[in-house]
Amino acid sequence: MEDLIVLNNVRKVYKMGDEKIVALNDISLSIEKEEFICLLGTSGSGKSTLLNMMAGLEKPTRGEIIINKHHLEKMSEKDLAKFRQQYIGFVFQSYNLIPTLSAMENVSLGLTFRGVPKSKRDKMAKEMLQAVGLGNRLHHKPSEMSGGQQQRVSIARAFVGRPQIVFADEPTGNLDTRTTLEIMNLITGMAQEFNQTLIIVTHDVEISDYTHRIVYVRDGNVEKIVENEKLAKGES
Amino acid sequence: MSSIDLIRMGVKNLWRRKLRTFLTVLGVIIGTSSIIVMLSLGFGMSEAFKQQLASMGSLNTITVSKGGRYGGFEQSQDKKKKKVTLDDKAIAEFKKLDHVTAVTAMVEARGTIVNGKYLAYANIKGVDPKVMEEFDFKIGEGRLLHEGDDLSVVFGGGVKHYFYNPKSRTYREPKIDLMKDRMFFTFDSNYGYDMPGEKKPKYKEYKIKTVGILQEGDYEKDWNIYMPINVVQKMMKENERIEGNKSQSGKREEKGYQTVLVKVDEINNVQTVQQTIKDMGHEAFSLNDWLNEMKKTAGIIQAVLGGIGGVSLLVAAIGITNTMVMSIYERTKEIGVMKVIGASLKDIKRLFLFESAMIGLLGGIAGVIFSEILSFVANKFSNQFGDFMGTGGAAKISIIPVWLIFAAMGFSIVIGIMSGYYPAKRAMNLSALEAIRTE
Repeated sequence: MEDLIVLNNVRKVYKMGDEKIVALNDISLSIEKEEFICLLGTSGSGKSTLLNMMAGLEKPTRGEIIINKHHLEKMSEKDLAKFRQQYIGFVFQSYNLIPTLSAMENVSLGLTFRGVPKSKRDKMAKEMLQAVGLGNRLHHKPSEMSGGQQQRVSIARAFVGRPQIVFADEPTGNLDTRTTLEIMNLITGMAQEFNQTLIIVTHDVEISDYTHRIVYVRDGNVEKIVENEKLAKGES
Repeated sequence: MSSIDLIRMGVKNLWRRKLRTFLTVLGVIIGTSSIIVMLSLGFGMSEAFKQQLASMGSLNTITVSKGGRYGGFEQSQDKKKKKVTLDDKAIAEFKKLDHVTAVTAMVEARGTIVNGKYLAYANIKGVDPKVMEEFDFKIGEGRLLHEGDDLSVVFGGGVKHYFYNPKSRTYREPKIDLMKDRMFFTFDSNYGYDMPGEKKPKYKEYKIKTVGILQEGDYEKDWNIYMPINVVQKMMKENERIEGNKSQSGKREEKGYQTVLVKVDEINNVQTVQQTIKDMGHEAFSLNDWLNEMKKTAGIIQAVLGGIGGVSLLVAAIGITNTMVMSIYERTKEIGVMKVIGASLKDIKRLFLFESAMIGLLGGIAGVIFSEILSFVANKFSNQFGDFMGTGGAAKISIIPVWLIFAAMGFSIVIGIMSGYYPAKRAMNLSALEAIRTE
């Protein structure tokens, strides 16, 4: 398998007043196509920063981030927006649904920006919501749904555009154990079905069971990378 | 993002905050309608001026007089020039000028017309009977002066209102018929009064015969009495002899005519001809001067009124900006999410610009409707207001030209976009990451 994402000596320093905070020290990492990766670490370890960089939301202070031969660190804000539109789906911990829009509208929002006509995107959104088990909640507003249901909408939104890469930032952070299992099964199941690369950030070791490789992040460095024996690549 | 989606989303966002949108739009309504109404008052005023002038007489007649009659400024200028007289030589010169179609001299005499027990102060103008028609004398009754007429007079349309009974304490409409009554004219302007200690010369009484009365409504001619110029000149010479030293307003020393009328072929040429005559050293006046003056005045008034309206539109523009900035604060997270899931910077900018332009447009349309109503109401009462405003009552006080309607709508959209530009830019530059972190 070829490498889809390559990070070379990525460093990120935040300036807080006079103080400099090193979020990422020196990270090199490559992620293959269709691989499921878990970035595991405690809060403050820099794992979220790493994710944001790979998603093109933040630029590194130093180093290279290459996705599909695109150098993210060199791209303009405008190109990054386009890049995200084409390649990336995002699942957030706090769902981040738009409260005034119905489930279906939330899901189809990304397609709207891509310029997909309404009839087509409504169909796609509907199918996707049915796939996440919310076929009967199409026109509900986020406030009318439970946390698990909202996260399903968020997942539907991330996957509806069939992005090559799906990022999930603590996708189950706000959910109970039973829902967590459901959500994780849903995410991995879909990513597998659509041959996508999945990158999950979590501090929950259990979540890492769902991925091929676990990257332990600590104090801005990659501590170790462990192959998941239970889910050896290629066998799944 | 397609335009339809943009419109759909923008309208939805505005609808989401109905009250706020409405209040912002209200600001624009007030702004636009105050500009439109203010400007429309200005247009109404110019229109009224024009009508007023048209009723005052011919716009293409230039009145040439001896230096110093109108305006002191030009008088002082004239002193440096050589003294010129308005004589037959000057008239011949005027006739040679381009665009001049007719020239006539005019002499003026003041005195009293006596009609039985009624008197009228009289301003007698001697004109050349040949050119009366050319100088827009419009006869109402009888006929204009003919060549060879002797003590014949043509009354201006308003002269009949001059007659009064000096013995009566209260004014009563005099029972006179200018066409039939026997009247005489005297140079004694204090006829019937005897100043104590003053020795009055024996003024001659000229029996006059009315041949016609001009149409009323021409301010320039309403208050004059017209007689053939040669007759008036003769009367004046006679009178000078009678008065002896006490010559009437020192006319004796002056040569030539007091006034010369010059008719120009077209209104647009009046200015040039007038200037040429002025350059020759004469005083020249035409209603065009007033027209220009009035146009200038109307322009200034309109600018002031428009400025007042402009201030309220400026306030409305600030209102739009405020609303949009508030909206960004409120939607920070939403904007961030949109960015993360693939909204381009252009989309975000367009969305916010659309919303503010929409506020502008809605305000513009409603403002136009509102000002049409205001204008309608104002015109409905313009008869009452008209006299007060000095517009003569008949004219509309508020006129909204069609172009103003479209200009106002276009302008309000532009205002909307301009006010939305800063907020849109701000939304565009919002860090997606910061935005989604906001809890």
